[in-house]
Amino acid sequence: MDTLNFSSSDFNAVLITLKLALTTCFFLALIGTPLAYFLAFKSKRAKPFLESIVTLPLVLPPTVIGFYLIVFFSPDTPLGKFFILLTGEQLIFSFYGLVLASIIYSLPFWVQPLQSSLEKIGNDTLKTSESLGASKFDTFINVIVPLSKKGFLTSFIISFAHTMGEFGIVLMVGGGIHGKTKVIAISIYDHVEQLSFGKAHFLSGGMLILSFIILLTLFYSNKRSMVKVK
Amino acid sequence: MMTSLFVKITGYVGDFFLDFEHEFNTNGITVLYGSNGSGKSTIISVLSGFINHLETKIVFNDKSIENIRIFPPHKRPFGTMFQNPILFEHMSVNQNLDYPIKRNKFSDQTVLSKEELINYLELGSLLNRYPQNLSGGEKLRVALARTILKKSDYLLLDEPMSDLDIKTKARLLNFLKMINKKFKIPILYVSHSIEEISQIANEIILIKNGKKITSGTVSKILNSNSFQRLIGKFESSSVLEGTLIKTDQLMNMTTLEVNGQTLIVPGRPGLKDNIVRVRIRSRDIIVSPVKINTHITENELVGIITKIYTEKDTAFSELVIKLTRIKIKKTSQILRARITTYNLNKMKLAENKNVYIYISSVSIDRQAYQY
Repeated sequence: MDTLNFSSSDFNAVLITLKLALTTCFFLALIGTPLAYFLAFKSKRAKPFLESIVTLPLVLPPTVIGFYLIVFFSPDTPLGKFFILLTGEQLIFSFYGLVLASIIYSLPFWVQPLQSSLEKIGNDTLKTSESLGASKFDTFINVIVPLSKKGFLTSFIISFAHTMGEFGIVLMVGGGIHGKTKVIAISIYDHVEQLSFGKAHFLSGGMLILSFIILLTLFYSNKRSMVKVK
Repeated sequence: MMTSLFVKITGYVGDFFLDFEHEFNTNGITVLYGSNGSGKSTIISVLSGFINHLETKIVFNDKSIENIRIFPPHKRPFGTMFQNPILFEHMSVNQNLDYPIKRNKFSDQTVLSKEELINYLELGSLLNRYPQNLSGGEKLRVALARTILKKSDYLLLDEPMSDLDIKTKARLLNFLKMINKKFKIPILYVSHSIEEISQIANEIILIKNGKKITSGTVSKILNSNSFQRLIGKFESSSVLEGTLIKTDQLMNMTTLEVNGQTLIVPGRPGLKDNIVRVRIRSRDIIVSPVKINTHITENELVGIITKIYTEKDTAFSELVIKLTRIKIKKTSQILRARITTYNLNKMKLAENKNVYIYISSVSIDRQAYQY
């Protein structure tokens, strides 16, 4: 086991993976948070329908999602055309295609923990705040966010970890291109196919330890108030 | 300045039809009384802007404020306290109290300062504690102080004290009366406790199944037939108002003057010349056509039977008795007595007959309350 085990291509894969996970979490915070708020406090009739859609990526085989995303991302679709117009590149097999795909399949991992944490706060707390003179936005920033810190932390950690670990969809949508869309999971797959078990061991072991540390942090911080995570 | 508030609400809440209209024309305490599910809390929610789908008209000091886009909940002139008040768990008591102060847009009201409130409600030792470490009564006091600190023009309190012990309740009710009187903030107080009403109300609105039955002053409503029907025979009672004459420190008793007659009640509910309200249950009253010449009870009053209701399906009759005025100034007060029809016949009681009324001070509500 020498430095050969960690090639520059592997190093790139690690960088791309981290960049992908962080970018995805950033957009999830922007999209998933209002969605969780809406599901927790606002929706009544639309709730079962919306919840089903948000949860779909949890139950569908990654290949099904991958397949549909390839179809939607192809340069012939309005989305594909728009992206080419915007960047000159095609969406499929690009890093941004990968980000978009990750947002979609990690959405339930952001929305669900946050939603259950928001539901625990309850409508009465919101009413109390508003009746004391705080607007809805004021209430969100000064009451909801501090009260659901753990929900946000859980959502972030679980979404981050899940995005790092996804394989099937990332392979289908990204194509595993060196230095562009090749993430750790795909690198490991390639190493195993080429029977370079040493390199596979190195990356896999790294993922194993990192994931364990992430989960340990999460459950340690949630020790007192258990947050149910699917 | 008199605060005026007109409310009209019509519409379905679930499968329940609310049809409520009232003009609040008092700076005092109005109690909204009705049983559970009569629509009291819905009215509070509509006023504070959390239920918006009903046809609503709210005119506050000649200004329409029902439009939710122009007057969302945080811009309404009300200080609302809901059932089971909630404190923000991530803030200390002190930070909870500062929450409305930081957002205060109604600063023209000269209400108690934060320091005064902390003193009155004895919150000093709680300031640095967090809601998780407070008892129910402590939480309520903090929530009440916080609502008052919004310095709103009208307080809406939705059964805030249903979970409190009698002693704490009496103290907080007195505090509310003080706030109301001293600072002229009108209060709408939702309750289904007769005890609470007789202690604090200036005006009562009775509602049943989403409709206003009647409204008026305390003595008018509490002694009205519709109120007696609403609370049921078992709770049937009358409220007497008396002027405090003297208190007996040693015996812990107080003498009141009711229509020139003397009524002795337990406890020391106030100071000389205060008006004290006392609730007496109809079944605790002994009626006799002749004077019983013993000290059988502390109180002997005289009156005239104005009406007898004999119940066909029970053993009881209800007598409405007008107290005889010894001094002429005030109108005669009404007492209701519940006796068996058997005894009614035996004593040959009839309408327009004079009677002696015997009331044991023990049966007068735990405390006669200062008003």
